[in-house]
Order: sequence, then C-alpha cells, then structure tokens
Amino acid sequence: MDKRTNEEWIADLRAGGEPQAQALEDLRAIILRGLPYAIAGRIAPNSPESEALVEEIVQETLMRVLDNLDTFEGRSQFTTWAHKIAVRAALTELRRVRWREVPLPEMAMDEEGDASYREIPDNQASPEDQVDRKDMMKRINRIIMEELTEKQRMAMTATMEGFPLEEAAQRLGMNRNALYKLMHDARLRLKKRLEKEGLTPQQVLSVFERVGK
Amino acid sequence: MKIKQIFQWLLGSNKKKSSSPQNGMQADKSEMMQKVLTMLSNTQDVEMTCDEVFAVLDQFAELAARGEDVSRLMPLVQHHLDMCPDCQEEYKVLQRIVLNAV
Repeated sequence: MDKRTNEEWIADLRAGGEPQAQALEDLRAIILRGLPYAIAGRIAPNSPESEALVEEIVQETLMRVLDNLDTFEGRSQFTTWAHKIAVRAALTELRRVRWREVPLPEMAMDEEGDASYREIPDNQASPEDQVDRKDMMKRINRIIMEELTEKQRMAMTATMEGFPLEEAAQRLGMNRNALYKLMHDARLRLKKRLEKEGLTPQQVLSVFERVGK
Repeated sequence: MKIKQIFQWLLGSNKKKSSSPQNGMQADKSEMMQKVLTMLSNTQDVEMTCDEVFAVLDQFAELAARGEDVSRLMPLVQHHLDMCPDCQEEYKVLQRIVLNAV
C-alpha cells in the first residue's frame, strides 16, 4: 500500500511491529522506483555498480527517515520528503567516488598576478582592452589576496573549478553548510571591497566581456 | 601545473574549448574571473544556507511541479539554487522524481 496519507505514513512508521515493517517495505519499493530513474544520467542504470549503490542508498534512506520522522513538517508529500533524503545520499556518494582521487586545485591567482597571463597575448582583444583587462586582473587578484583567508581562497578556487561543495568541504575539514557560509562571507567581503574602490562587479565584468567582441 | 592539467582533463567535457592551445590558459583564467564576478554580482547580503534549503526542498519541488511561480513564492530558495551547484543538482534530480510521479 503506497497510497497512504502523510499522517498514515507517520503513524505506521512509528507504530513498530508489522505496520512499521510493511510501511518500510512500501517506502523501499517507492524509492526503488524513483531513484534509479532520476540518477540514470550519472551512473549506468542496471549496472552492478548502480544496483549496489541504489541498494545501499535505500537502506541508508530508510534509517534516516526513521531517525528524522520528527523533522517532517507535512509541507510536501511524505514520499517526496523521503526521496529528498535518498537523492542527497545518492549524490553525496556519487560525488565522493568521482572526486576521491582528485586533490583540491591550487590557487591560480597570486599576489603579483600570474606571469603567464601577462605574457600570452590575446589576439582577439584590442591592445587597449588587453591592458585594461590585465590591470583589472591584477587589481582583483590583489583584493582577493587582501580580503580573503587562505581557506576562503582555496574554497573559491575549488568551486570555480567545478569541485563539489560537499567534497571541497570535507577536504577543508568542515561540512557543506559551513563552507557555503564561508564562501558567502568571502563573496560579501569582495563585493564590499569593490564598492569601496568605486567598482561594481558588473563594471569589472564588462572589462572582461569586451574582449573578443 | 600537473594538478591543473588533471583537472582540465576531468572537466574537459564540461568546459568550453579555447580557440587555440596557446591562449587556453588565458581563456581559463578569464573564464574563472568572469565566474567569480558573476557570483559577486549575484551575491545578496542575506542568503539561505544549504541546510536551510534542504529543509524545504521537497516543498519547493512540489510547488514547481504544480507550475507555481517558485521564484516569487520562495525567492531565497531559488537564489540559493542559482548560487550553489550541489543543491541545484540535488533539486534537479528530485524534480525528475516528482515530475515523474505527477
């Protein structure tokens, strides 16, 4: 029976015994229908790896659902809430597997600007645009070095390079939520510093966007 | 530089190819700077965190599946999803499930 109301799901899962076992079995079947389809683009469906992952995730999800029943506020269908837990668990595991061998990227910008950047001419840009862009790049690099902590610079570089927040956070010894806050603080600092120097991000961006037009 | 090369190889399928190998590094740096500036431009004083968004993501996904204007109803959630690639990815996967169930 997977047409329970939210209240029925909660009651059965709290009941223990047969009602709880049946509810868990039904929820397991629902997640097994939804999750493989949803992550099909990220892992080959029906492959042994996919089946093992889905089985592991479903078990983990059922445990988390039972542990977190009190946090369900009834603002969505219970099964959507359970799927949300399954999706996060699945993507966390997929990211971990994909990125586990990859070290956090180096900070590409240094205090002096990047020498290779200045030396390589960009044939698409006019000489004036090249000078503007180099000056702006150097100025932004300096602001980044002055305003951000090393952790913030590492986090920003990693995420700009496509590193998942979850994985970057783990390497930096924090959780994803804390990393987002750290980066939000970094973005605010940079934005305010630019404003203090009479620049808006849009103005700076326009210097880079002019190139090649 | 080796690490950078590994990274570029890993991300190769997602990144725009530069017009020539000679200015590849320059294009990457310029792209990176543009990404940073776009993020700064979109930064708000108050933003929801990943945990706060996760708490309402199921509700948000169902509202969106019903065709509601979620950007108006839950603007801070929408903004976080625009800024956070991890949460955005989780939302898109959840959305597939919800839409499939509707």
